[in-house]
Amino acid sequence: MDVLLNLSLNGLATGMLIFLLAAGLTLILGLMDVLNFAHGGLFAWGAYSGIWIYSKTGSFFIGILGAILVGFLLGILTERWIIKPVYGNHVQQILITLGLMLVLSEMLKVVWGPNQISANPPDYLVGSWEIGGVIIIKYRLFIIFVGLLVFAAVQFLLSKTKIGLVVRAGVMNKEMVQALGINIQKVFMFVFMIGAGMAALGGVLLGPYSGVIHAEMGLEFAILAFIVVVIGGMGNFKGSLLAAALVGLSGSFMAYYVPDLALAANMLLMAVVLVFRPQGLFGMKG
Amino acid sequence: MKWTYNNRANAIYFIIAAFLLLLPFVHDSRSLFILLTQVFIFSIFAMSYDLLLGFTGIVSFGHAMYFGIGAYAIGVFMKRYEPTNLNFVLAILTTILLTAIISFFVGLLTLRLKSHFYAMLTLSLSGLFLVLAEKWRTLTYGNDGFTFRVPEILKDRTDFYFICLICMIAVFLILSRFTNSPVGRVLQAIRENEQRTESLGYQVLHYKIIASIISGIFAGIAGILYAVSLRFVNTSVFALDITLDALLMTIIGGVGTLVGAIIGAGLIEFAHHWLTALAKEHWIFERWIIFFGIIYILAVMFFPLGIVGTLKSINWKRRKKPDVKKEEKLAG
Repeated sequence: MDVLLNLSLNGLATGMLIFLLAAGLTLILGLMDVLNFAHGGLFAWGAYSGIWIYSKTGSFFIGILGAILVGFLLGILTERWIIKPVYGNHVQQILITLGLMLVLSEMLKVVWGPNQISANPPDYLVGSWEIGGVIIIKYRLFIIFVGLLVFAAVQFLLSKTKIGLVVRAGVMNKEMVQALGINIQKVFMFVFMIGAGMAALGGVLLGPYSGVIHAEMGLEFAILAFIVVVIGGMGNFKGSLLAAALVGLSGSFMAYYVPDLALAANMLLMAVVLVFRPQGLFGMKG
Repeated sequence: MKWTYNNRANAIYFIIAAFLLLLPFVHDSRSLFILLTQVFIFSIFAMSYDLLLGFTGIVSFGHAMYFGIGAYAIGVFMKRYEPTNLNFVLAILTTILLTAIISFFVGLLTLRLKSHFYAMLTLSLSGLFLVLAEKWRTLTYGNDGFTFRVPEILKDRTDFYFICLICMIAVFLILSRFTNSPVGRVLQAIRENEQRTESLGYQVLHYKIIASIISGIFAGIAGILYAVSLRFVNTSVFALDITLDALLMTIIGGVGTLVGAIIGAGLIEFAHHWLTALAKEHWIFERWIIFFGIIYILAVMFFPLGIVGTLKSINWKRRKKPDVKKEEKLAG
């Protein structure tokens, strides 16, 4: 029983990290029709800069804030200089964002060196609680909590505020929103910034969770995030949360029972979804 | 006029090929030959990539998958069985079969969807192959890889240089013939305007799958040659770096021109060689790929045609101007 619970918690925690990455990806894809292959690079940048600030200041909270700020900044720069010149051309977009991914991860190695960096959770998140014979690691609960908080915040932003309305309308019909006199460019930039910030937050949370961070982890998580985007449906924010939980759980259970097939199971799920429901498991339109 | 241009280009190719063929007889530098052999191998790989990216407009991020399948096929055959010529041929056939089957299914699954999906699925699938190669230890010896012996005829470095050069020329000729064939023309039409091609009555999906399969097979062959040149294979053949190499070579050299892929391969391989040698001078050169990443981004933004494409368009303009004047005179 406690094995099952622990695996579930573990899977949910990983799922939340993937969600933070995939949510930005799916929003950007839905609104701007841009698949940002550099998203994993933003994730890794968030991790490195956040952990660096954390180690300098000694406060994990400031580290998280710093990572989010770095994410915002990189998001704005990326949108301005890299994505904007090639709007509307899919092939160029895909190519250029992958190039950016390459540059971002190499830049990481230039700034912080090619070796992996270790990261530990702050004192108040070390250790575990024991509830009824079940050991629950604090940091995992913390990640799940932060993930749900971000989900609630972005969900509120999307459903209750003016800008959220514009974003949702933009996902449905970009030209119409523009015709109504709204500067869609600014909305694009805002969404990109939020997406990059979420990715960076995911990165910095991953640091103490896995213990070490390295430049290649961006790509590893980006692959999982792509799977989530496909399963959850492109541009579907709620779908990405469910799909991320699904991918995280299946990853953690498979890793325990059949470790060699962990990634294969998720890939298979994605292939099945692609064949039968290309609009995603939780997609609405056919 | 087109004919003379083609003729001149052909003459240049011929001279370069003859020069490369004669080089071993007049020059004797082992490291140069090994480097050139790598250039030839990666040229084949980049040309196979160019067929997808440049001629059909499909972006694949998992091309390393086919490359790795070829490399592992030859490695496993030579390691498990005697390194005879027969087994070598069997390994080539296995590679062709495997790459054809996999590229067929990958194409079938994703090519009917938007270009995002193909890039995404190939990226994840090549990640899956990387994990598979790491985990299937009985066959692949995991991350460490394994060395193997090669058949007698491939042992000599100079002979292998010729084999790779001839393979490269053969692939170049086959692919340029293919891209000028009716099927190749349809592929280029798909690149230019998919909806239009479809409305003209072509089964776009079938043609795209054909491109995917042919490209996969040639990438597999490049993988075979690569593994034979090293006599060693490990999981790095499935890494994203290999795909990135092909991307950089094709984009910087020039998409949609097979020559561009060859020039790009030469540039990247030589630059890699020199820049890693410079790493002793300054550590930044260890991260040499960053320069190419930046050049690549700039190329995608400002020179989407690459070196060869840009050169060609300049030539074309110079040639076109007198014609326009003549027409104006006629009109006036």
